[in-house]
Amino acid sequence: MSRKTLFIITLLLFFSCASLWAITAEEIIAAVDANTSFASSHSSGAIITVDRFGEKKSTFEAWSKGDNTSLIEFTSLAERGQKILRTGSSLYLYYPEADQLIRLQGAALRQSVLGSDLSYEDMTRESSTLASYDATLEGEDVIDGIQCWIVKLVAKSRSSAYPIQTLWVDQERFVVRKGLYATAAGRALKEMEVIALMEVGGVAMAKESRIADLLKRGSSTTMRIESIEIDIPLPDALFSLENLSW
Amino acid sequence: MVKLALRNILRNRRRSLLSAFAIAVSAMSIILLLALVEGMEVDMRTNLIAYYTGEIRIRSSQYARYERYHPLHLSLDDEAITTVLERMDEVAETSGRISFPAALYRGDRSRPVLTMGFDFTRETAFSNLASILSEGRLPHDRSNELVMGAVLAKGLDITVGDRVTLLASTAAGSSNAMSFTVVGIVKPPIGSLSSSTLYLSLERAQHLLFMEGRVQELVVRSTGAVSLPALAGEIAALVAEELGIETETQAFSQLNEMYGFLRIAKYIYYVIALIFFLLGSTVIINTTMMVIFERMAEIGMMKALGMDDGKVRLLFLLEGAFISAAGALAGVLVGVLITAVLSRVGIDFTEAMSGIEMEVSSVLYPSITAFTAVAVYLYGVAIATLSTLIPTRRAARIQVVEALHYV
Repeated sequence: MSRKTLFIITLLLFFSCASLWAITAEEIIAAVDANTSFASSHSSGAIITVDRFGEKKSTFEAWSKGDNTSLIEFTSLAERGQKILRTGSSLYLYYPEADQLIRLQGAALRQSVLGSDLSYEDMTRESSTLASYDATLEGEDVIDGIQCWIVKLVAKSRSSAYPIQTLWVDQERFVVRKGLYATAAGRALKEMEVIALMEVGGVAMAKESRIADLLKRGSSTTMRIESIEIDIPLPDALFSLENLSW
Repeated sequence: MVKLALRNILRNRRRSLLSAFAIAVSAMSIILLLALVEGMEVDMRTNLIAYYTGEIRIRSSQYARYERYHPLHLSLDDEAITTVLERMDEVAETSGRISFPAALYRGDRSRPVLTMGFDFTRETAFSNLASILSEGRLPHDRSNELVMGAVLAKGLDITVGDRVTLLASTAAGSSNAMSFTVVGIVKPPIGSLSSSTLYLSLERAQHLLFMEGRVQELVVRSTGAVSLPALAGEIAALVAEELGIETETQAFSQLNEMYGFLRIAKYIYYVIALIFFLLGSTVIINTTMMVIFERMAEIGMMKALGMDDGKVRLLFLLEGAFISAAGALAGVLVGVLITAVLSRVGIDFTEAMSGIEMEVSSVLYPSITAFTAVAVYLYGVAIATLSTLIPTRRAARIQVVEALHYV
């Protein structure tokens, strides 16, 4: 074997191994989803919205079970006792002075939660991203000194709230550091950036993140998790419509 | 000369009647047109004052800038401003209001509505909802009760006694919902109010929206002693001086563009009236021309006997004036008579105005003032008489020798 042939074979072997080691966009997103999925959780935190009229802080307590069941109860004065229950793809609002539960559907899901940059639709997103989106790896970038993959997600369904998402995923911790959410035509709708991370059950997750609705000028919302417990026993009744008014 | 003119008019009665008829039709059309516009203006003024802005509306100076966001936090202290207003001799009545968009839920059905928080006692001087109640009663204070427009209630199959839930954005920037019992159905004269508006007590609206003691706006009714824009200026100055609050205080006519357009429209209709009368006058011009040619020998004879050009012109001018006066009088009288009937019966524009956002009632009652009727009459007589100047110039220019050829 000539020295030239040996070099070519070595080069081919190197590239085939490299391709075996390379991570795919699907694997990155699956890892991100796995990091944010818990059997159950109980957390408390705050939503701070800054807009042209000033700053508003709302505090909450939240419980979740599985991927699609959650309950949020607001504890701040202006919203005390109000609850949002998500069971599957349904979203219910409970208000202490209302006889009936309000089931949000259709265009009503696009309304803002407490005047923030978050919509109710944002709260009903599927936890399995790959079930709803096709992912492609677009490249790499550095966010706040952290090496990130840039993953582009294109919605499989036309009814998706954000047909195109671009995520900057931390290469070390598999957590989204930044996200850009856009229409099918590429018009940016929302922007999200993680300000602080925390370690929960051995995995990293966002402690504080800022979301800006780019259609609302001068508005941004900071979501801060003050405390969180995961994989704790929670009764199913906690998430039932009957028990919403306790 | 007058006798001669009258005798000439009666010579060919059919032709004179035709000329007078043309003027009469023009005068009647203009009377009806102006009666409709005046009726619309009066109706709009009444509706604006009752349901929308009062005679004068006071809001936070910043409200208009952010109005599309429904900035309920840009509110006013109801009691403090009312105390200041009560000391003003020119202010007769005041009422605090909150209007806000909400989603109305009943079972699985929901629809957007405009909700008004009214102090029903103070509102007697403005909207006086009791007068448009078609069923039930007005809400009691501190009770979760409301009344709603008849068309809205019918659309949602709601009757008195049903419960509904209202979801709205609050002044604190959050959302809140409360359930209410429908205790009455109202029939506001404006279609859009009937189809999308509901009314609850001001205190309940303040509770729902976290606005205790605050109002979005105050409406004012004056004693009529001073002009409304001047009074609005005085109120703004006094509130700023005594409470240190900058407000946007304006008269209803300054706030509603459509009302301004309607007032301008009246003048446009006077121009249209000119065209109507000119068209009507063509019949008089034509008739006078024919008369001049028919009476060429007579004109020549009168001129030969010493009647000068001016008198010939005056004779024909008088004939035109008498025909115009009679025609315009008949037209104005018929127009006023029809208006009197329509002002009682009304004209139903419900179908035509469905879906149109305008502060005008679905059923309009035309009205005409004596001043307008007299003005139209004089206007018609003047234009038609002046029109006859054109053919009379021809009569005056006739030479005796030329005229005697027709003998």
